[in-house]
Amino acid sequence: MSYSKEKVEGILNDGLQRRSFLKGLVACGVLSVLPGGRLLANESLNTKIPYLGEKAYETFRNACPRNCYDTCSIKTFVKDGVMQFIEGATESTFTNGGCCVKGNSYVRRVYSPKRIKYPMMQVGGKGSGSWKRISWDEAIGHIGDKFLNMKKEDGHLLGAALTKYSGNFGITHYGVEGMFSSLGYTTRFGGTPCWPAGIDAQNFDTGNMWCNDPEEMKDSKYIILWGVNPASNSIHTMKYIYEAKRKGAKVIVIDPLFTETASKANEYFQVKAGSDGLLALAMAKIIIDNNLHDKKWLKKNSHGYKEFEKYLKTVSVKKASEVSGLSEKLIHEIALGFAKADPATIWIGYGIQRHTNGGSMVRAIDALVAVTGNVGKYAGGARYGHLHTWGFNYNAMTNPKPKGSIGYTASNAVMGDMHGADSAKKVKYSDRYLNINKTAEGILTATDPKIKLLWVACKNPMAQDFDRNKLIKAFNSVDTVIVADQFFNETTRWADIVLPVTTQFEEYDVNVSYWHYWLSINQQAIKPLHEVKSDLEIASLLSVYMNKKEKGSCTFPQKYDSKKLTSKEFNKGIYEQFGIKSWKELENGPVKAKAVIPFADGKFGTPSGKFEFYSEQALEYGHTALPEYLETRKPYDKYRLTTLHSRFSLHSQFQNIDWMEDIHPEPFVYINPEDATYKRIKTGDMVSVFNKQGLLRVKAKITDNTPVGTFMMYEQWYNNSIYNVNELVDDTSSDMGLFKTGAPGVALQDTYVNIRKV
Amino acid sequence: MQKAFLVDSDKCLGCNTCAMACKNQYHQDKGILWRQVREIGHEEYRTDQNNILPTLVWYAKPPKVEVPAERYYASIACNHCEEPACVAVCPVQAHTKDPETGICKHDQSLCIGCGGCVKACPFGASKFNEQLGKAEKCSMCWERQADGKLPACVQSCPVEAIQVVDIHDPKYANIGEKNPLGLDYAVEAPTKPSTRFIHSSMPNKVHRL
Repeated sequence: MSYSKEKVEGILNDGLQRRSFLKGLVACGVLSVLPGGRLLANESLNTKIPYLGEKAYETFRNACPRNCYDTCSIKTFVKDGVMQFIEGATESTFTNGGCCVKGNSYVRRVYSPKRIKYPMMQVGGKGSGSWKRISWDEAIGHIGDKFLNMKKEDGHLLGAALTKYSGNFGITHYGVEGMFSSLGYTTRFGGTPCWPAGIDAQNFDTGNMWCNDPEEMKDSKYIILWGVNPASNSIHTMKYIYEAKRKGAKVIVIDPLFTETASKANEYFQVKAGSDGLLALAMAKIIIDNNLHDKKWLKKNSHGYKEFEKYLKTVSVKKASEVSGLSEKLIHEIALGFAKADPATIWIGYGIQRHTNGGSMVRAIDALVAVTGNVGKYAGGARYGHLHTWGFNYNAMTNPKPKGSIGYTASNAVMGDMHGADSAKKVKYSDRYLNINKTAEGILTATDPKIKLLWVACKNPMAQDFDRNKLIKAFNSVDTVIVADQFFNETTRWADIVLPVTTQFEEYDVNVSYWHYWLSINQQAIKPLHEVKSDLEIASLLSVYMNKKEKGSCTFPQKYDSKKLTSKEFNKGIYEQFGIKSWKELENGPVKAKAVIPFADGKFGTPSGKFEFYSEQALEYGHTALPEYLETRKPYDKYRLTTLHSRFSLHSQFQNIDWMEDIHPEPFVYINPEDATYKRIKTGDMVSVFNKQGLLRVKAKITDNTPVGTFMMYEQWYNNSIYNVNELVDDTSSDMGLFKTGAPGVALQDTYVNIRKV
Repeated sequence: MQKAFLVDSDKCLGCNTCAMACKNQYHQDKGILWRQVREIGHEEYRTDQNNILPTLVWYAKPPKVEVPAERYYASIACNHCEEPACVAVCPVQAHTKDPETGICKHDQSLCIGCGGCVKACPFGASKFNEQLGKAEKCSMCWERQADGKLPACVQSCPVEAIQVVDIHDPKYANIGEKNPLGLDYAVEAPTKPSTRFIHSSMPNKVHRL
C-alpha cells in the first residue's frame, strides 16, 4: 500500500486531540509505560507547563552533539518519562548554566510532530513523495539483502558508499563508519566540508591544530577576532571576551561584515574578503621593522624565520592597504598594538579559510602570532580549533573486516577528520575514498564499480553540499539511497529508504568540543520515541540479519547497549587528562581537562620540531613553503556572496523547529544600501539571486552591515521554504586540506552572483 | 520590594537565547513569545516586518543615536509594572501583583479570556492564546525564584545581559534607564514599568570600506 504525500503529512502530524501532552498522559494512565506514538507534541499544546520545583524532576546529564564550538553540557529535567525542559549545566564554567537559542529548543525537537516515526520506503521512486510505512524487519531485510547481493555480484562491497558528517559528533556515532567497515571494504566520502584548509595550514606551521583554552581569553590584553562571529556562533565565549574588555584589553574585529561581534568590540575594521593574508603579512612586517618581534622566542622555537623575514621585504604595506581597504595608518596601529600587548591572541574564524587562498591566509596569521612570541603562551595563541581532548577508543570503529574481504587496491588512502590523522599503514586493500566536497561529482563519475548503494547518516547533503542540481542527478543514479535522520528534509526527499534515528536524549553517548576543554556524558534521559533507533542499534540489527543469512558477513556487534558502547570509549589517557577514575563520575556533571598551554614546551609536531615559517611539507603538497600572499579567486559575476552560519540554525538543523520559526521565520539576502539603490531594491522586495550554478528567490533586507559589492545570506534549511543558499555555491576548492583531511575544502566565500528584483 | 529585569543592551548579543529559554521552560504555543528580543536602530526595523509582534504598541521616536540595524537589541518581557494596567482591568483577579516581590502574576485557571489585559497593557506583554481563549504572560519565573533559581531567561543568558534587581533597593534605585535606546517606550507610561535598561554603545572606532 502506498500513500500520497498528503497522507504522509497526515501520518507525520497525527496528533492526538488533547489538551496537553502531559494531561493526555495522565488521562491515558500511561505515566510509567509510554507508548511512543502517544508522546507526539501537537502544534499547540494548549497550556503552559508549570515549573514544579527542582525536586519534582528526575535529572539527567546530556551534551549537545552538534557541530558547534560550544558543545554545551546540558542538564535535562524529566517527569514521568517525559522531558520537561533543559538547562545548561552549571558545573561547566564554559556552559555556565545556559544553552543557546538552538539548545533551548531541544525539547521541542525531541517531541516535534514532524519527527520521522517509522522506517519508510519511497515506493514511487526518489522524489515522488509516495511513501509506504515499513517495519524495521522489512527495512533491515531489504538493506541487508542489497549488501549481500552486491557482494555476490561484484565480489566486494565497493559499490556501497557512506556519507556521514557532523549532524551528530557524539563519539559513539563513529560506529556508523564502524558499521561500514564491518561489512568489508566500501566507498567513503572523505574529508571535511568546513575547516580543512585551516587544519592543513596549522599543521604545516605547528604540526598540529591545537588552540589555547578559550576561558584564558579573559586574561588576554589584545584580542583580534579575525573573521569569526562568536556573538552568533559561540555565544558562551563572549563572556571571556567581555571580561578581558572590562579589564582593559583591546578587542578588535577584522571582518568584511559588520557582525554582531563587531558591534561589541572596541574597534571594528571592515576589510575586503580574501585580503586577510596580505594584511597579516604587512602587520608582521611592521612589527619586525619596529623591532617589536620576539627575537628570543623566534631563535629558540622557529624554523625558517630568516627566509620569512627576507620574504617580508617584498611585502608592501601600501599594497596591503589597497587590497584590504584599511589605511596604512590603521594597519600600523593594529600591528603595533598587537605587538606591544602581552599576552595577545588571534582567533582565526573558519570563514577566512573558505577562500581559494584560505590556507595561505591562515598560515600568514599563524606567522603573525608567532613573530610576536604569543604561541605557547598563556592567554595567547593563534586559535583555530583543537582535537586535543578527542583521544577516545573509537571502539565501534574497530571491527575487523569479514574474512576474505576484497577492497580497493589503488593507493589513495585518505585520512579521517575528527579522530587524529595517523599515517596510513601499507595494506593490501583499502576503502575507496571520494572527496566529500564533491559528492555529486564523486557519485556520477565513480566507475568500477558504480555506486549502487548510498548510506547517509548524521548529514543533510541536499541542504549542505554544493551544486545541488548535480546532486539530485547523482542521487537518482544510485540504486538505493538510505537516509537515517530525525526529520524529513531535502535529503530524505531523494531517498529510497528512510530510517528514523534517536536524538541524544534517547541514547548514551559522550561529547567533547573542538574549542573548549570540557567533557560531558550523554545519559539516556527518555525512552526512544515512536520506532526510532540509534545509528548503532541499526548497525547491530543489520549485523544480526546478515549473519543469519550469511554467517560471518558482518562483524559489527550484534548486541546493542548504548551505555556499554559509551563506556567502551574511555581509556586511561582520557581519565588522566580529565582527572577522573571512571566515566561514571561524569553523571555528577561535566569535567574539564587539566590545564595545558599548547606548545608551551617548545615542542612542535613539525619535521623540524619547531614552529615552521618555512614548511617543506607545504612545498610537498604543492604550496609555497612560506606563508606567501596569494590572490583569491577572480570574480565570475557582479557581486560577491558570503554565506554565513546563522545563530538560529546549525547548518541545516534547528530552523525547522516550530519554536524557532516563532523567532526567525524567514530567510533574506542582505544588501548594502548603495547596491540596493542601484538595483532599485527595497527591504521586503522579492529578488532573484542568481549565477551560473542556480537561482534563488528570496526577500531582500537592506543593511550597511555588508560592504558595497557584497551580499550576505545565511546557510540554512527551512521547513516550509525552498531556500537553500547552496544552490548558488559551486564546489571550487580552497587551496589546502589534502594533507590532513584527505581532500581540500570548499571556497564558499568566493562565490559570485547577480541580483534582480522580481 | 519591586523585582525588575535589568536589561543590558550594551552586552546583549541578540542571540535570542532568553526568548527560547522561556519557551523551553513553559512550552508556549506556536506564535506566542513571552520574551522577545527586539532590534533597536534603523527606523524600518522597528516596524514589524515578520508579523511576529502582533500586539505590541510602540511609541516610536527616531533613535537618539545612529546605530546599525540588526546589531543592537533590547530583550523585553512583561515589565512587572508598579501600577500594572492588567491587574487594574482584570475583572476576575486572574492578574495579581505579589505584595512581597512586586511580580505581576497571572493565574490562567481563573482567566475568563475577556482580553482586557491584552488591550490595557501598553507594552503588549499580555498575549492572547487563541486556542485556549485565554491570556498569558511572563511571570518572572516566580516559581523558579521561589525555588532558589534564577528566571529561565536570566539563567540562560550567556553574557549576563538580563538580571533581576530590586528597584526599591537603594543600591539599584538609580540603575539603568527607563526606556530602551531608540524607542520611546515607557517614559510617560502611567503603569510605571519596572524594567530598566543599560544602553548600548558603539565600538570606539569603526572603519568601513
